[in-house]
Amino acid sequence: MRNLSIKNLSGPTGILAALVVLIVLFSLLNPRFASVENLQNVLFQVSVPLIIVVGTSLVIQMGSIDLSVEGVMGAAGMAWILLSPNTRLEGDIGVWAWFVALGLGLVLGLITGAIYAKLKVPSFVVSLGTWYVGLGIAILLYGNALLPSLTSEALARWPTQLTLGLPNCFWLAAVILAAGVFVSHYTKFGRGLMAIGNNEPIARSNGMPVDRYKIAAFAIAGTLCGLAGILATMQLGSGSPDIGFGQLFVVIPAAVIGGTALSGGEGGVIRSAIGVFLLIILNNGLVLAGVDPDYQSGVFGMILLIAVIAVAWPQRGRLKVAK
Amino acid sequence: MAFLTKLREFSAWHTVAPPLVFFAMLLVVGVFNSNYLGPLGISIATASAAPILLVALGQSMVLNIGSIDLSNAAISLVGAILLAMTIPAFGVGAMIAVLALLTVIGAINGLILAYTHVPSFALTLGTLGILQTTALVVSGSETIYLSENRELVTTLYSAKLFYIPLTFWMGVVVAVAYWVLLRLTRVGQNMTAVGKNESGAILSAIPTKWVKVIAFAISGFTGGLAGIAIVAQAGSASASGLGSALLLPGIAAALVGGTSISGGLTNPLNVVFGALTVAFVPIAIQAIGFNAAAQSLVYGIFIIAVVTLTTTRTRGLVIK
Repeated sequence: MRNLSIKNLSGPTGILAALVVLIVLFSLLNPRFASVENLQNVLFQVSVPLIIVVGTSLVIQMGSIDLSVEGVMGAAGMAWILLSPNTRLEGDIGVWAWFVALGLGLVLGLITGAIYAKLKVPSFVVSLGTWYVGLGIAILLYGNALLPSLTSEALARWPTQLTLGLPNCFWLAAVILAAGVFVSHYTKFGRGLMAIGNNEPIARSNGMPVDRYKIAAFAIAGTLCGLAGILATMQLGSGSPDIGFGQLFVVIPAAVIGGTALSGGEGGVIRSAIGVFLLIILNNGLVLAGVDPDYQSGVFGMILLIAVIAVAWPQRGRLKVAK
Repeated sequence: MAFLTKLREFSAWHTVAPPLVFFAMLLVVGVFNSNYLGPLGISIATASAAPILLVALGQSMVLNIGSIDLSNAAISLVGAILLAMTIPAFGVGAMIAVLALLTVIGAINGLILAYTHVPSFALTLGTLGILQTTALVVSGSETIYLSENRELVTTLYSAKLFYIPLTFWMGVVVAVAYWVLLRLTRVGQNMTAVGKNESGAILSAIPTKWVKVIAFAISGFTGGLAGIAIVAQAGSASASGLGSALLLPGIAAALVGGTSISGGLTNPLNVVFGALTVAFVPIAIQAIGFNAAAQSLVYGIFIIAVVTLTTTRTRGLVIK
């Protein structure tokens, strides 16, 4: 019985309730919060971290961590804009720019996954390394020349254009999210990742191709970071190696607040997505309520602290080991 | 390769690898451009290594108990700001008070960790956010210059012993002290025991909660020393100035120094070489004549390569 009630509290219900409370509170504080424009603004802001968090959750579910988010985003974003119509180079290769940039994300993810699974180096360290590698690629691509800006009106406008009342970038994120939910809940691979996070030796002894699953999870995470990098570049309208700045500290807290345990085997894509919504709405609402942006990271930190303690509190025990 | 395999089987591989890596890099740089190995090169490298070293030492003490402290670089930044604000009025007293305060902040991290059983990564990510805001609010988002009593701290940077500034020597002294603590005292042995096998440590009646509080308090204290090194070097402090990007280099230095991310294995003396290596990479890139823009790329490859060579691989071990 005790376990059941805990499950309910730490599950999506608790965080959904928190989300509703926030929305009501902010609507009362500033009527502009609930306006259609602001809703579209929130959806615009939420789409990039939403795409990233799908990959992040898959990786965290198996008990690993992917820190390379910001570096991969920078590399893919720079590669994409330099191969699309821009002010710097005449190297517009059209649709192929997408393939090159996503391929770069995929390769960086594959490298992280392969070194982690095959050479048995902790994922924390490998992905810290690939963070720098991705950032390095982005800085080298950026060089010393002018800031590359997007010259194609159609591409620059695409994320903000509305389809059925919602911005295109959010539709893209929603499609990725739906695919993520499908993969993690309804495929052997997705269930396998959860099993690895729960108990890797048992998953292995049951004949699961653990190493291949691990590499695949990182490859997906890398590709999605690449996509997020492209989308963020489009939203900004120009390329920058730091395009992903701060995203890591949105998606990991979001996953944790959503109830995805960093030790693996718990949580899910949807919960992490709700976590992203919570953090972005919180940020948006605080700005509209007139709170100094300096306080943003502090408020994020407080919420994260309260959330992790609330999740961990009922599961305390004298012999519990939490790293 | 056969040589490498043999070397890896050699039980002391962990202890020789970090200095070996550093001296190999020195050798390469020396071949390309011997100017960088002169007195000036040494003082520049060790000066930039000093804050990284201090942050890394605190981090390795926390990594040793199997946790991680993402907030310790932010602690040192808050410390630097507080020092810059209080030293003009109170001098040495301010330094002691700030160090004590930061030790308490570290201990609070440890207390929350020990008594609520939350994962340290999430917990310290939260305190990191709070401390970032603290740094911004306390400093009013401005750079705070040391007006009076400036020499009190800046001599730590300008005074040199064998071309090496005192801030770096401070790091070496702390490293030796932590080595003694870990190897020769009961508290230190308890820390390593918690890192190697926490369940075993609990069942052996080791006061694991206090061990954690002490490790995080040490991390806060060492972060404070790093704050002193920052103020000594810059003569000022701000939320975005020198020292605001110490977290990742600090972790990298601890790892390159042979500290295990999964706990139970660290050697503070080797962290000194880890910090030197991390601080020397940008200089080496310049010396060899690579584009300065390649720095991040080389940094990343370096971390992966070094840890791949030194990490432990026991059969059946689950690597997260």
